[in-house]
Amino acid sequence: MSELQSSLLLKKQLAELNKNPVEGFSAGLIDENDIFRWEVLIIGPPDTLYEGGFFKAHLYFPKEYPLRPPRMKFVTEIWHPNIEKNGDVCISILHEPGDDKWGYEKASERWLPVHTVETILISVISMLADPNDESPANVDAAKEWRESYTDFKRKVARCVRKSQEECS
Amino acid sequence: MGNCLKINSSDDISLLRGSDSFIGQDGGPMPIYQHEPITQMFYPASSSSPGAVAAASGTSSHLPEEDQIKIAKRIGLVQHLPIGSYDGNSKKARECVICMVEFCVDEAVRYLPCMHIYHVHCIDDWLIRSLTCPSCLEPVDAALLTSYETT
Repeated sequence: MSELQSSLLLKKQLAELNKNPVEGFSAGLIDENDIFRWEVLIIGPPDTLYEGGFFKAHLYFPKEYPLRPPRMKFVTEIWHPNIEKNGDVCISILHEPGDDKWGYEKASERWLPVHTVETILISVISMLADPNDESPANVDAAKEWRESYTDFKRKVARCVRKSQEECS
Repeated sequence: MGNCLKINSSDDISLLRGSDSFIGQDGGPMPIYQHEPITQMFYPASSSSPGAVAAASGTSSHLPEEDQIKIAKRIGLVQHLPIGSYDGNSKKARECVICMVEFCVDEAVRYLPCMHIYHVHCIDDWLIRSLTCPSCLEPVDAALLTSYETT
């Protein structure tokens, strides 16, 4: 897959998302001249702790996309077991294919070249609703989520408020 | 058969030495399927498939030798998958789901054992990274090995 094909594929997705927006997020580019770096705004999913929040995140696509996955990083502060404190999203579908040294991820749960911005964001939105505490990226958040849920809720609520202020 | 066992146990070495591996087989029967793919694999990689080689070398330039050998084996395995030309009447797939570009009539497409089709260059680059059908997740190597045994 050449860089040209990668950028054509991403342009196609951007055009499609502009024409037919998907519920739950909006997508654009960080810099309109660089198709490989996207900015998305995720609306906190209803009936979750994140409801009402507006979370900005960046997607960095490699030149080998779709053979290799993008990296995703929340720019808005967010407290979640599968998102590192610096915002990096740790979700198995964004992990490169190949041998899984630790043997805890099936190939089907890892990156596939059929994934698009839309399918990635659907997975991330579902991760917000339903954290996976088996392989936490933010160990403190995971521990809190399991052991002191009230504190966890309070921290998430603070992020939601902060995200609303940043957006307004 | 003792011969085969010996060859199998030194696969990595015979791959590295190239033609040396054939010396021990002089006059013997043609290699059986068990190791035929392995002995063939290295050679298509360096001659008949420039696209695959480019892709492989792109991913392998800084990899340890064992990984490079694994990639060479994969390229060989992928070469065994049939290629057809898109007939335009297929009701199954109109576009390659990897690059999202519609197939053109008479364009070369690769058939996976699960019968999903893709552009040859799109799927070959992927299979070198993962021997899984991107659409149905059917493992490609297991299916191939089964077909070797039954034919």
